Amino acid sequence: MEHHIREEQGYHIASLTGEIDLETSPQARKILLDTVDHCEKILIDMASVTYLDSSGIATLVEAFQRAKKNGKHMAFIYLSPAVLRVLSLARLDKVFAIHADIESAIHAEP
Amino acid sequence: MAPSHPMIEVTDLTTHYGSRKILNTISLTVNKGEIMVIMGGSGSGKSTLLRHLIGLEHPSGGSITLLGQNIARMTEQDMTQFYRKLGVAFQSGALLSSMTVGENIMLPLREHTKLDQKTMEIMVRLKLEVVNLAGFEDLMPSELSGGMLKRAAFARAVIMDPVLLFCDEPSAGLDPVVASALDELILRLREALDMTIVVVTHELESAFRIADRITVLDKGDILTIGSVEEVRASDNKRIQDLLNRNFEEEILNPDEYLARLTGETEEMLSYV
Amino acid sequence: MQILKAQSMLSPDRPLPRILQKIETLGRVTTKWVDTLGFGASLLYQSIFWICLGGRRKQQVRLEPVISQMVEVGILALPIISLVSVTIGLMLAIQGINALKDFGAQHQVTYGVALSVVREFAPLITGILIAGRSGSAFAARLSTMTINSEIDALRVMGINPVRFLVVPSLVAMMIMVPSLTLWADLLALLGAGLYISTDLGISMATYMAQTVTYLGTDDVLHGLGKSLVFGVLITIIGVVNGSSVTGGAEGVGKVTTRAVVHSILAIILADLLIVFLLTR
Repeated sequence: MEHHIREEQGYHIASLTGEIDLETSPQARKILLDTVDHCEKILIDMASVTYLDSSGIATLVEAFQRAKKNGKHMAFIYLSPAVLRVLSLARLDKVFAIHADIESAIHAEP
Repeated sequence: MAPSHPMIEVTDLTTHYGSRKILNTISLTVNKGEIMVIMGGSGSGKSTLLRHLIGLEHPSGGSITLLGQNIARMTEQDMTQFYRKLGVAFQSGALLSSMTVGENIMLPLREHTKLDQKTMEIMVRLKLEVVNLAGFEDLMPSELSGGMLKRAAFARAVIMDPVLLFCDEPSAGLDPVVASALDELILRLREALDMTIVVVTHELESAFRIADRITVLDKGDILTIGSVEEVRASDNKRIQDLLNRNFEEEILNPDEYLARLTGETEEMLSYV
Repeated sequence: MQILKAQSMLSPDRPLPRILQKIETLGRVTTKWVDTLGFGASLLYQSIFWICLGGRRKQQVRLEPVISQMVEVGILALPIISLVSVTIGLMLAIQGINALKDFGAQHQVTYGVALSVVREFAPLITGILIAGRSGSAFAARLSTMTINSEIDALRVMGINPVRFLVVPSLVAMMIMVPSLTLWADLLALLGAGLYISTDLGISMATYMAQTVTYLGTDDVLHGLGKSLVFGVLITIIGVVNGSSVTGGAEGVGKVTTRAVVHSILAIILADLLIVFLLTR
């Protein structure tokens, strides 16, 4: 799965591209978990994510939980309305840290 | 919901059981995103129709087009690709009794995907949340009540996010409270997962509660296909009889009844 | 010509003459049997297909169910197999010595016992015990699953029921029944030896040495080969009966009993056939 990671203002920003579904979730999982393991402050850039199914949601959940348990900071940014809807149906919109863009994510950090 | 492209197209479907005709040139369509309820009493052929729609039986004539392909003559191997996009919730739940609820729901994932164990576990729990069975993953099917089994069956049916969901008598045998909760679940699934849903039932209340359109079957024929209002307002006598007698009782014909009782008829009692 | 004439006489008021009715029933029953045999053969064929070529279709037979079946069919049967085998061995020894005493030939009993145990009794008794134990289990499991629509559920999940249910049991039986037969061989010979050594006043070591001399590899293989056939028969018959269930809990009881009876019958007939063919 296409992705790239960049650093900005002390955050590692992982951008994912394409669909996160039954086929591509394993790759997305590896990318996300690696990022969580090696970085302290992580933003997941969902701008280019076109589709998210249950396996995609599960992957995000696992990564988010791992970050939380290890005291890392993780948030999701640039979610499209479609993706946001999928997450809210799974009632994760109140659970995940979600921000509109990089700036609001940085400002929101406790 | 404007009727868009059809997910299911049945054309002139006919099927026999030996020499008996069970379905008589049935034609219907199911559109994307709609909930189609197929109603009928015992012997109407609704269960047989469902079995044909999900590829468990083949018709004697006609075609069944699912997601653009005719499955009426498809081999089991070819059907496998379809089964990844279909979900079926059986009447009795049909969970494998040797596995836990969680393992049951996970089964399609294990067979068809290469997902990580952890991912699959979270997916199972996500679906259990949707059907209100959170925390039940380690129980065995025998430990669940009828209503819970049906909900677990739904969770299994939707685990791969299918586009098409089939439900066989979802509220049969449940008390009204549980039955209406299950109806709510069906509506919620359609909403949450953008599903097209086909429900076979003889429960009028459920049908009127959830249907976008209703197909009324009687003795292998389609009496009508329409919205809830249209069906209710129908002036077809057979339909009105069926509605009033709530599909449970058969229409009483005194001569037929007597002949049945004294064994003078060759007609077999059937439950199709 | 006569049958054609009979058919033209048919009308609802004139049923078939009795003799033709009986022939019709016979024909129907025969067709049903051929049908069942065909189904069984088809199951066997499909099972072999899945074992050999499942990988190609990306639908492997998984190891876990095979192992659990092996435990169920084999390991858990050890106690009863052991008990029965020792007993059979003892009985053979007692009867053998008793009969041969009249000829003063009781020292030949070791020969007789060794060969009859390894070639005949161990595979047969093991087969019959496993038929009762596992044949009924397969039929019961499959029939309850059929009634509960679990088989249909597997199919609509794109899971082939033969690969998922039948093959693990078949593989497990093909491994375990010969293994259990081998175990039965040992225990029966041991049981016989206990009596023989005591009664004839020879040492166990002598008995064992004699037994080993008398037994050839082909004797043992004869018995194990038969047990392999028995294992396959039990599995297929159990599955065929289980899947033909009709009618709820009572139906389950019926097909379970039928599976055991048919299996035992099949084992004995197969035994006869094999023995006949191999010793001509």
